[in-house]
Amino acid sequence: MKADNFAVVVYSLRKAYQMADVKVEVLKDVNLNVATGEFVVICGPSGAGKTTLLNIISGIDRPTSGKIIVFGEDLTEKDEDFLADFRCNDVGFVFQSYNLVSTLTVAENIAFPMEWRRKPAEEIEKRVAELLETVGLQHRANHFPAQLSGGEQQRVAFARALANDPQLLLADEPTGNLDTKNGQKITQILQMLKTNGKTVIVSTHDAQIIQLADQKLCLEEGRLASQDE
Amino acid sequence: MSEASFPVNDLVRRKLRTSLTVISLTCSVASTLFLLLFSERIGFGITSVAEGTLTHGLSVVFSQFVLFVGILIFAVGAVIISFIVFLMMAQRTRDFGLIKAAGCPNGLVFSYFITELLIVTLAGCLLGVVFGFVADFAVTKLGNFQVYQKPPDLWLAPLVFAVFFALALIFGTKPLLDAARSSPIKALSPIQYFGLSTGNKLKALSRSGIIFKIASRSLFRRQSATVRIVLLLSIVFVLLTVSIAGSIIADDTTKSWVEKATGRNVIVVTHNSMCNQYKALYSKFLGATENGNFDYMNPKLFVSGAILQQLNATAGIANVDVRLILKEHIEEVRSYTIDPETLATIPIGEYREGDFLVVGVEPEKVMDTGYMKGQFLNSSDAWAAVIGDTVAQTMFFTNTSIGPQSINPKTGRPYGADYPKFSDPLLQSLRLQGKTFRIIGVRSDPINNGNVTYVSLKNLQNVTNVANVNIVLVKLDPSADRTVTLAQIREKVQNINSEFTVFELDEVLNKNLDFLGSMWSTIMLLPVFTLTSAALCLIGYMMLAVDEQRQEFAILRAIGAKPKTIIFILAIQSIIVLLSSFAVGISFGVITTLLILVPQPVVTSFTIVEVAAWLFTALMGMFLLSLVPAVKFAKTPILKIMT
Repeated sequence: MKADNFAVVVYSLRKAYQMADVKVEVLKDVNLNVATGEFVVICGPSGAGKTTLLNIISGIDRPTSGKIIVFGEDLTEKDEDFLADFRCNDVGFVFQSYNLVSTLTVAENIAFPMEWRRKPAEEIEKRVAELLETVGLQHRANHFPAQLSGGEQQRVAFARALANDPQLLLADEPTGNLDTKNGQKITQILQMLKTNGKTVIVSTHDAQIIQLADQKLCLEEGRLASQDE
Repeated sequence: MSEASFPVNDLVRRKLRTSLTVISLTCSVASTLFLLLFSERIGFGITSVAEGTLTHGLSVVFSQFVLFVGILIFAVGAVIISFIVFLMMAQRTRDFGLIKAAGCPNGLVFSYFITELLIVTLAGCLLGVVFGFVADFAVTKLGNFQVYQKPPDLWLAPLVFAVFFALALIFGTKPLLDAARSSPIKALSPIQYFGLSTGNKLKALSRSGIIFKIASRSLFRRQSATVRIVLLLSIVFVLLTVSIAGSIIADDTTKSWVEKATGRNVIVVTHNSMCNQYKALYSKFLGATENGNFDYMNPKLFVSGAILQQLNATAGIANVDVRLILKEHIEEVRSYTIDPETLATIPIGEYREGDFLVVGVEPEKVMDTGYMKGQFLNSSDAWAAVIGDTVAQTMFFTNTSIGPQSINPKTGRPYGADYPKFSDPLLQSLRLQGKTFRIIGVRSDPINNGNVTYVSLKNLQNVTNVANVNIVLVKLDPSADRTVTLAQIREKVQNINSEFTVFELDEVLNKNLDFLGSMWSTIMLLPVFTLTSAALCLIGYMMLAVDEQRQEFAILRAIGAKPKTIIFILAIQSIIVLLSSFAVGISFGVITTLLILVPQPVVTSFTIVEVAAWLFTALMGMFLLSLVPAVKFAKTPILKIMT
């Protein structure tokens, strides 16, 4: 497969943090290719570097060395403004802890990435309604995050991540804080995204989500290995 | 960790916040102490209106300003302390919860934080006292007040210290007790944290800007802090308006009074000794003392007819105003008025007397009368007098009066006992050399600090049997060549009498105006300290906003918001707070200044532009300073914020 066909190319990626006098190496020479439309699952124990890898792919964090190319753009060379636009337009990120804006209602939380792209109000309203229906939260449109359950908040987070119809969706342990029933609802959403041909990278321990994977990877002590191998 | 070391270590660990708190307190205490020291030093005790440094009219205006600004500075100091304590508590609520959840008893938690409060307040008040003395010393040494080099009133320092320390304890103990008594779960609750209010009722998907929505909702969510900062800044803007607008307007107004009363382009022609005496009489603002035994009737002082003839014949002269200045004994003449209902006679005034400067003038030659109540002398009103504002205050203004002794049959009380006892110079007369002069005006006059009485020259000459004048005020024609005209006058006068001199009154006038300017400039400086405190409080508030919205901002950044978006959200919050305070403060400030503090204010379009420019500069300065936490925060990496 040509490099152009890959949504994400990670090459010789390293990430280290300086904690007082100690240098902690979180990612060590990570290499990864994700094809467009592929559903990738990354497993691994806590502290293995899963969140760090997703943060770097999304442009939230920067690597210490190595290359990270997403849809042909080398993110390591881009400035903060480019990365902000990139996160808004090309990537949807679902955090483990939902991370909804507490001052905005459910509908507004879903709408604001579109408002930043200055989309017409009618289009935003239509898209919000569509996404609320997708995640089954039409009746919660005007509620604030504090008034929702954890599962509902996570579904709102998915709706927000999909607002600008990004080519790539990243989800960091999306069912990690949820019970089985709510976890199933999230799995259904991921199933739907896979069916629609969206490129998805999920870090998870959830067996149901792992079953959806086209490519299963395991991150252990900062090194990536294919579980298929 | 020992009980004593926890508060100290805690304060040291939070260096920036501790410093901001101490500096804010320092500025409040310093500005208040400086105001009191300065006003005492130059002779305008807050409670005593006229101490003899200025004319009574000017003293009243200045003292009112000092008093009003002093009250505002005290009010700002109180609100600042309340706000600082609130900020301390808001930022420590979670710590309370954690400490209490770990099993620390209420009393110990309270003692930790009361110790912190005491340390911060003690440091702020002590530094404030030191800086207050330094500011007073610097202004007195460097400013135009060298003549008032008396030692500072040291008793003011413990007074200011005690008041502010007490305020800190009063405002600080209550929230401390509340916080210490709250349950750990309440202290740890995000709703309780930062005084958030629950039940936000704003609903529905709105098309309005998402940035404004986030900014405004966050602002209302922490309404306790927002209300406090708006209240604080409103008082600061009242203070700022009164100090800046008031000082500029009062400066223009009082200078206009003095300039009109003295006259511009006026040349004094008189005997050398009389010239020195006249200069001293006009330089009392600057602490000059006239010769108390000066003989105004000395024949060598009299201006000869030849000199007058020559002056009248000189080109380039607009007016020749001859005057006779004497020191005379004046008696207050009691007046009476009739009660329209009972027809009872009500007395006005008393039987006071004293020696005052009396100036005889030709009414039609007096070109500008300056600021006055009533009217100036005119040729048709024969036995009339105009008194200076200080004479009016010392001789004709009191609340004591002797009522008529006859009994009112309706009330069974003496006539007049049911009326307010009053004196009113404009309803009274004065007696000079046995002749009675009706008082028709009260004039704010810089000569002899307002201890002066004007009567017509003819009458003064009649009652004193002095047929001459001892001074001539020559008004130069502004269109004529000043240097040439002056040279001609000097030559002519010297040729006639070499003991006579020609003196430009503008020299004394300019010094007086400079003195007034310096005083009002100093008033303008007073709010600088308070403004600094308020700016620091605003920075503290913005730091609170950043802290409270930290997680939200991180999310926004992660979803695609640029750093400038975060700055923009915080800038909107700052603008809302500043503009709402600005509107309230400016409105009250302008109303107070124009309607209460300055009588007959002189407001030109230039004054409005000047005041607006100053206020706008202050507003912009505070706004830019308030963005410091936002800019610093926006540069922080997303992950650092999230973790």
